[in-house]
Amino acid sequence: MGSRPAAQVGHSRKVYIQRDYSQGLGLRYSTAMPPQLQDRMPEDLFEAAIVNINQILAGAENGSVGVYAESCFACLTGYLIYMCMDTHYERSLKEVRKLIEEYNRTVFMPRRLMMIDPSERGLRVIEVVLLS
Amino acid sequence: MPKRWEVYPGKSQVLCSGRCISAKNLSVFYLTLALIVISSCLFLAFDCRLLAVTLSPSVPVLAAVQFIFVLCCLLRTTFSDPGIIPRGTPDEAAWIESQLEGPQVDRDGNYRPPVRLKDVQINGRVFKLKYCFTCKLWRPPRASHCSTCDNCVDRFDHHCPWVGNCVGRRNYRYFYLFLISLSVYCLYVMVFGIVNLVLLSNMRKDFLMAMKESPTSVLTILVAFFSIWSVVGLGGFHTMLICRETSTNEDIKGSFNQRRHPDLINPFDQGNGLANCCYVLFGPVTPSLLNFREDEIGLGSSISLVTNNGRNGTVSAAAASTAVTATPAVRYSNLTRNNNDATSNSVGHVNNSVQVISESLPAQLPGDGNDVIVKNGNGAPADGVISGGTDAVGAQNSNTQSASSVHCIV
Repeated sequence: MGSRPAAQVGHSRKVYIQRDYSQGLGLRYSTAMPPQLQDRMPEDLFEAAIVNINQILAGAENGSVGVYAESCFACLTGYLIYMCMDTHYERSLKEVRKLIEEYNRTVFMPRRLMMIDPSERGLRVIEVVLLS
Repeated sequence: MPKRWEVYPGKSQVLCSGRCISAKNLSVFYLTLALIVISSCLFLAFDCRLLAVTLSPSVPVLAAVQFIFVLCCLLRTTFSDPGIIPRGTPDEAAWIESQLEGPQVDRDGNYRPPVRLKDVQINGRVFKLKYCFTCKLWRPPRASHCSTCDNCVDRFDHHCPWVGNCVGRRNYRYFYLFLISLSVYCLYVMVFGIVNLVLLSNMRKDFLMAMKESPTSVLTILVAFFSIWSVVGLGGFHTMLICRETSTNEDIKGSFNQRRHPDLINPFDQGNGLANCCYVLFGPVTPSLLNFREDEIGLGSSISLVTNNGRNGTVSAAAASTAVTATPAVRYSNLTRNNNDATSNSVGHVNNSVQVISESLPAQLPGDGNDVIVKNGNGAPADGVISGGTDAVGAQNSNTQSASSVHCIV
C-alpha cells in the first residue's frame, strides 16, 4: 500500500475515502481507514461510522415496491409532484447529511477531524479534514 | 460569491441561471422540435376539421394530449442533467495522482504512459476503472466521458444530437418515454391523416382531387411515415437494451456480449427483463450532483463547508473555519471520553442531547462506549428526535457553527 501523502491545503490536511465497487455499482465507500487517521481515532470506530453511512446509501439505490410506486405516481402527475416533495434518493442523502453532522459533533470534532458530506463532492469521495 | 453554474468548466450549455443544462449545439434539436410542432399544428388545424366532425371530437383531443406528452418528454430529456459527475477538486486530484505511477521508460527504451487503470471486482467480474484526467476522478464502472460535452456522465448511453443532450442515468427514462410516445404519436398521425384523405376522396369521388384539396395531409403523412422507421426502430432497440440492462455504449463496445465472450456475465442484470425494465424506468433517480444553484466555495479556505443546505442558504467558509478552529476545545470538552459526568446545567443539557441523538445511530460505536449510549437499537426517525436535542445545543452555542447545523436539520 505504502503511505499516501495527505493533500496539503493551507494549514490543514485532507484524506479521501474512495468508492468501493466490490459489491456492485451501488453507493458504497471503502471502510479501509487511511493511515493518516490512525493516530487520531481507533480503526473500528471509523469503520463503524462508514458502515452506518453505507447502510443508508444502500437503501437509496435499491429499488423496492415503495420506490417503484412513488416513481409511477410521480410519472402520472407529470413529475410535478417533485416540486412539493423530495425523491427517495434525496431523502436518503439528507439522512446521510444529518448522520455525518452528528458524527462530526460527537465523534470527529473531539478528535480534531471533520468529515465532509459526500454530496458536497459529487458522491465521488468522503473527504476527512485533519484539523490542526 | 459566484454560483456553481457560473464557474462550470465543461462544454455543456447552462440555462435559466443553473436550472437547466443541455449540449452547446442545439441546431439538430431545433429541427426535431420544428418537425414535431409543425406537423402537429398542421394535423390539428387542417386534418382534424373533417375528422372531428365525421368521426369524433376525441380524435383531435387525443392528438393534442399526445403532442403535449411528447413535447414534455423531449424537453425534459434535453434540459435535465443526464447524470454528470462533477469534477474533482484540486486536492482530490493531487491525492489520487500522487498514487498513480508516473510515466516511465522501461529497459527497451519504450515510453510507458502514466498508469491510470485499476482493477475492481464487481459481482465476480473484473472491471477496469479508468482515471479521467479531465474530470480528475476515478470513473465509475458504467460512466463514460462525453467529448462533445466534456463531462463524465454516469451510466452513459450516448450523446443524442436529435435531443441535444447526453442520454445518461438521470434522463434515460425520459428519453425512452419520448421514443415510445413519439412512435405511438407518429402512427396515430399517419393513420388519421390517411383516414382523412380517404374520407375526403369518398366525398369528392377522386383521390387526386382530395390530395390537392388537403396538401397538408400529404405532408403530415410523409413526415410521419419517414419518422416512424427511425423512431420505432430506435424504440425497439432501446426496449431490448433495457431488458438486458445494457447501455448503448456498452452494447457498442461489446462489454457484455455473450456470443463473443460466452463466459461474460452482466453483473448489473437483475435476472429477468421485467425486473430490469422496472428498475431502469421506475427505479430511484439520483438527484443532480452538480448543485448549480449553490455558491461556489473558494478553495483557499481551509475547511470546506459542512453544513450546507441549498434551500436555506450556505454557511460562509470563513465563518465556518473561524468557529471551528476557535472553540473546539471549549465546546466539546464535555463530550470526550473522560468527561461524561459533568455537573453544570448547560453541560447536562448537552449530555441529554447527545443521548437523545444517539438513538438515531444504528449501533453503539465500538471503542467509544461512554459517550454514546443507545437507548433503543432501532433507527428511530431522526427528525423528531434530533430537533429536540439540537435545539438545546443550538441555544447554548448561538454564535458557533452548530447554529447553522440546526438551521439545516430543521
